[in-house]
Amino acid sequence: MSELPPIPRPEQRPLPPAGGPRKIVLPPHRQRAGRPFRVKAREWISRNLFPSLGGTILTLISAGFLGIMVVGILWFVFFDANWNVITANRWLLFAGSFPREEAWRLWTSIAVVMFLIGLAYGTWSSLGRRDTLFIVLTGAFVIFLMAHGGATIWSSIWFLVAIGLLYLGYYLTVWMPRETSPRRVWHQRIVGGLLALSLPLVLVILMVAGGANTRQFDGFVLNLILAPVGIVGGLVVAIPLALGRASNMRTIKWTCTAYIEVVRGAPLLGWLFVALFILDDVIGGDLIIRTMVVLAVFTGAYMAEYIRGGLQALPRGQYEAAQAVGLNQLQAMQLIVLPQALRISIPPIVGQAIAIWKDTTLVTIILTLRELKGNADSAIAQSEFIPDRIEAYVFVAVVFWVVAFMMSRISQRVERAQGIGER
Amino acid sequence: MTDELSPVDIIAESAGPKAAAAVQPATNGEGEVFSPRLAGSQDIIITENVDKWFGDFQALDDVSLRIKEHEIVVILGPSGSGKSTYIRCLNRLEEHDAGRIVIDGIELNEDVRAMAAIRSEVGMVFQQFNLFPHISVLSNITLGPQKVRHMPKLEAEALAMQLLERVGIPEQADKFPAQLSGGQQQRVAIARALAMQPKIMLFDEPTSALDPEMIKEVLDVMQELAESGMTMIVVTHEMGFAREVADRLVFFDEGALVEQGTPEHFFTNPREERTKLFLSQIL
Repeated sequence: MSELPPIPRPEQRPLPPAGGPRKIVLPPHRQRAGRPFRVKAREWISRNLFPSLGGTILTLISAGFLGIMVVGILWFVFFDANWNVITANRWLLFAGSFPREEAWRLWTSIAVVMFLIGLAYGTWSSLGRRDTLFIVLTGAFVIFLMAHGGATIWSSIWFLVAIGLLYLGYYLTVWMPRETSPRRVWHQRIVGGLLALSLPLVLVILMVAGGANTRQFDGFVLNLILAPVGIVGGLVVAIPLALGRASNMRTIKWTCTAYIEVVRGAPLLGWLFVALFILDDVIGGDLIIRTMVVLAVFTGAYMAEYIRGGLQALPRGQYEAAQAVGLNQLQAMQLIVLPQALRISIPPIVGQAIAIWKDTTLVTIILTLRELKGNADSAIAQSEFIPDRIEAYVFVAVVFWVVAFMMSRISQRVERAQGIGER
Repeated sequence: MTDELSPVDIIAESAGPKAAAAVQPATNGEGEVFSPRLAGSQDIIITENVDKWFGDFQALDDVSLRIKEHEIVVILGPSGSGKSTYIRCLNRLEEHDAGRIVIDGIELNEDVRAMAAIRSEVGMVFQQFNLFPHISVLSNITLGPQKVRHMPKLEAEALAMQLLERVGIPEQADKFPAQLSGGQQQRVAIARALAMQPKIMLFDEPTSALDPEMIKEVLDVMQELAESGMTMIVVTHEMGFAREVADRLVFFDEGALVEQGTPEHFFTNPREERTKLFLSQIL
């Protein structure tokens, strides 16, 4: 190798004079093109809506279509529809055969859950303007229905109190340290623990000391109980299944694969029949508990596959680095692999959660459990409400949509909160 | 671990000044070459007739190599020559199919406890860094000491900060790996490996995934580590590092150990044709 001539160094640039405000001038290629920050409304409209003859025609057609739809919907909601079918049957739809004198148990549960949701929002995320708008709109919708039906003022007040508790829980978290610290971690653990306990807590509030029995869970309340059990139970089943399926040990691998393939191979309806007829002999009496088991088993099989996808998406280097650091297999799974795999699988898992939320309506068909949609069926079976079936089903659809939309929003939050260490 | 000293102190104490010029290579009984500064050292890694197969492909073919404590060995070779496979066998990320590997008196075999003991004595730095992206830089380093050595949290964090000082980026402790540059990530990876207080460090092409301007900062850390007396086995294409720092160069081709010798020997007078060809291609 011969000696290379020294590389000529560029001349040292003079430092900017110390002190005083410095004006930063970007090099020409970094300067923004002469685009003003605000575009005039008229200019925006002409540029985006009427750019050419074809564009103008498309805009007019879409506007006409949208206009007809919006006017039609508004007309239906405010003039055409007879919402009496909802308001007259609101208890039936909401809680069905749940004993009315025990209604305070329901209100208390809702208040507790709202408070915990507020805490959770404050702990891991924040309530943005859109969330507030969503809450206000939902609240207005509910109160409109109640007022329309001539409900006692107390139910509206209870509802407002529940929303108030949501915000109370949210603002309570201002005492939480913002920066990462052991104290913050403890706050998060406590809130997480409370959330995990909320479902059993709600069941205790509903049932203990002369409360309802499980056959009295009815209407929307039943959907609200079954879906979380299915989702949480499904996750609990899914994680070991996914790990088992990724395992090297043949028996474990084959058992898990067989479980997943068998469960996914039959429709949920079929498994609900199993709950109705076969599980009776296996785990006995309580139909709702049998249904919960079937929902968890069914959801678990799907979620296991999503988590396995997450496991496979992890680069092999992560396993190797965990080994090289000296972690044993269990530690590597628990500390390195699962946290990352679960984060990757959040979107499909939430998709499955939304699916199971909607599938809770299936229990009406065969199990003679009556949830929201089933009770809507009975509402329009009453002679005076027979013409109002559209109103009843629209209401049910809106309620399901609202909850599904909330789940999807929360999943986005979770993803973002978990995404801090994204590679 | 009953040591009162932190690994940093231990490493610093055992630091022998590297012999300025290893002019005359000494030779042990088996024709292996090492610097005079290693004259009193024991063999810490012994590999005898190691074979490794991936299906029909023979990745390692009868590799025998002894490495002394405090020795810096640089492994060279074309891509696919088995050099990475070799050092991955040394901490059992790969299992060898035949032959023996003995590390600090512990033979690598099916025994899980032996494996655990080896892993805590041998630190590894990967080409792709392989930091854990979901936890902070500090937690990346404290994880091993806390979970494997059961070191109290505060002590582990103090150790981690000490190591981050040593690799020159203490101010990055609370960031996540993705927020760091490649060179910084690799330095964190070195700190993470050092936190387990290893006797041996393996480097698998530590600078190959880095942008050119970041290579030097990593090599500087490695050189400092070498001067502190760590036993190091480095797979690299950085010839400058090999020439400056290594006690011995080893050349692999097609899974076999073809030639070994001092940097002097390699850069002035390589014996084998394959070595000459390889060196002419990369120099």
